[in-house]
Amino acid sequence: MGKLLEVKDLKTYFFLDEGVAKAVDGVSFHVDKGETLGLVGESGCGKSVSALSIMRLIPDPPGKIVGGQIILGGKNVLELEDKQVRDIRGNEVSMIFQEPMTSLNPVFTCGSQIEEAVILHQKVSKKEARQKAIEMLGLVGIPAPEQRVREYPHQLSGGMRQRVMIAMALSCNPSLLLADEPTTALDVTIQAQILELLERLQRELHMAVIMITHDLGVIAEVASRVAVMYAGKIVEYAGVQEVFNTPRHPYTQGLLISIPKLTESKDRLAVIPGMVPNPLAFPQGCKFHPRCSRAIAECRKAEPDLRELVPDHWVRCFRA
Amino acid sequence: MTDMLLEVKNLKKHFPIRKGLFSRIVGHVKAVDGLDLFIKRGETLGLVGESGCGKTTAGRLILRLLDVTEGSVTFDGRDVLAMGRKELRALRREMQIIFQDPYGSLNPRMTVGGMLSEAIRIHKLASGDAVKKRVAELLEIVGLSPHHSRRYPHEFSGGQRQRIGVARALAVNPKFIIADEPVSALDVSIQAQIINLLQDLQKQFQLTYLFIAHDLSVVKHISDRVAVMYLGRIVELAESSRLYESPKHPYTRALMSAVPIADPGAKGKRIILLGDVPSPANPPSGCPFHPRCRERLPRCDKVVPQLRDQGDGHYVSCLLYTPEFQSSSGRLGKSVIIDSDDQKKG
Repeated sequence: MGKLLEVKDLKTYFFLDEGVAKAVDGVSFHVDKGETLGLVGESGCGKSVSALSIMRLIPDPPGKIVGGQIILGGKNVLELEDKQVRDIRGNEVSMIFQEPMTSLNPVFTCGSQIEEAVILHQKVSKKEARQKAIEMLGLVGIPAPEQRVREYPHQLSGGMRQRVMIAMALSCNPSLLLADEPTTALDVTIQAQILELLERLQRELHMAVIMITHDLGVIAEVASRVAVMYAGKIVEYAGVQEVFNTPRHPYTQGLLISIPKLTESKDRLAVIPGMVPNPLAFPQGCKFHPRCSRAIAECRKAEPDLRELVPDHWVRCFRA
Repeated sequence: MTDMLLEVKNLKKHFPIRKGLFSRIVGHVKAVDGLDLFIKRGETLGLVGESGCGKTTAGRLILRLLDVTEGSVTFDGRDVLAMGRKELRALRREMQIIFQDPYGSLNPRMTVGGMLSEAIRIHKLASGDAVKKRVAELLEIVGLSPHHSRRYPHEFSGGQRQRIGVARALAVNPKFIIADEPVSALDVSIQAQIINLLQDLQKQFQLTYLFIAHDLSVVKHISDRVAVMYLGRIVELAESSRLYESPKHPYTRALMSAVPIADPGAKGKRIILLGDVPSPANPPSGCPFHPRCRERLPRCDKVVPQLRDQGDGHYVSCLLYTPEFQSSSGRLGKSVIIDSDDQKKG
């Protein structure tokens, strides 16, 4: 399978009054056509900033992509003019966000927000755009789309709003969808509906997805490969089976044993001590060493490289 | 002294919906609509449900942070709803709450020491230097250090703030703590720390918890018994392991199957519920779950099922588990599956 997207050594920094936050600091990964890559990590690890960098949506100032390449369909997105980037956004890459309440415009109907994207990218008439909007709403499983197309976001439930977001994102048939915590704000039964919907649409539209989430359960269900991020860097990068069955980085191992599971009972949860580091003051050496039970002197001094320990299983750890 | 600490019977809270120039009452949001439960001393009862099911309102009604529309709450043999102001203040010493949002529930203009000593002084638990000593002790109990008492909430991380929230609840030596989504705003690696802390404190101080959350895995881990709420009522209540091993109510079964499992090998069969949770302002007739239920019977839209003990304290409120149905159909699960169009119209 061909590579659809390749991110090489991406560095996105935020220049703040308090200092430089290296939100994404040398991240490399790729996405094949039609596959789902899971990007998992805790708040502040740089997973959302990575996605926003691909879309070139980093607010500048204070943010800046200071290095690296983002190759999408043979072109380096970082070298394109603003107008060319606008052509890519929505057309080739689309993004859906966590908050379906705040990422829709409250003063426009759902239909007109979808039509706007269609008219902009596909040069069709208003009437055709309306037809397309109705078709998309039907595709994402919204009942009575002819009616809903005239309704405002506040008239819809959270799950329905996320469906509208998905309809909007997919209206121009992108080859890559960036889904940034798309189900975090939703209830579990609605989350199940949305995950099922994404899976179906991905199959039908032959689309690749980057699923960004902190929920390891969601990753296990949808992703084929996983990149685990910590403090602006990928610490483990492998197929989903390897990451969950034979995790090799102490952080991944810690995460997996610290979550309570429905299928087993334990008296006490294992814990990763300490807290998620502040991006303004990442520790020296390996960023995880202050919380790592296996840290040695070397970990405090130097940052380990991401090494391929077994074929297609990359780990950033001296001790793995 | 009985082993029953809290007993709630037929608890209701209807919020009026007002409209128009004279704010006429045009309807009611039935946030909690006939809640029955009891909690034994030293146990943890988990209360799970999706947003809008009334779990938070239930917690606030028990503490009397909201006025009750109907029903009764008995705490340690006393009628909570009949209490006057003075008694209520004394009661609040015994019952405390930990909130979800560690950012919004702490006063940003007060130091941590100020917050903790305020509670101690109001309830006259200590005075003078003893207050300071108690504050330092509390901070140590929750895993912070005494020098943190001079700091303000914004100087702490989310997990630390939640520890402060726990310390504040513990300041008055309560018997009973309602924890309302105490870990859902926290990072995954921090959640386990707070859950362990709550469990340690329970053992150390013989606390009783009502643990309210939407995350079924967390609730299962921490609770002795679990109650599942849907649209203001309890649909199923059982011992934690029993509920997760053999859920009975169709809603509980769907809810459990919807939880993503962090194991790529275990792709179980998901039961996808159609539609959204109906509005509590206009709940469906009969069983509140019937419009989304895949196993509903023809009379589910007419009869309101009662919460019934199926043996060994496993309570279910569903017509499939009534003696009449079980004798008429011979065995369980032979229900009629109605795949009607009005489900899809939502």
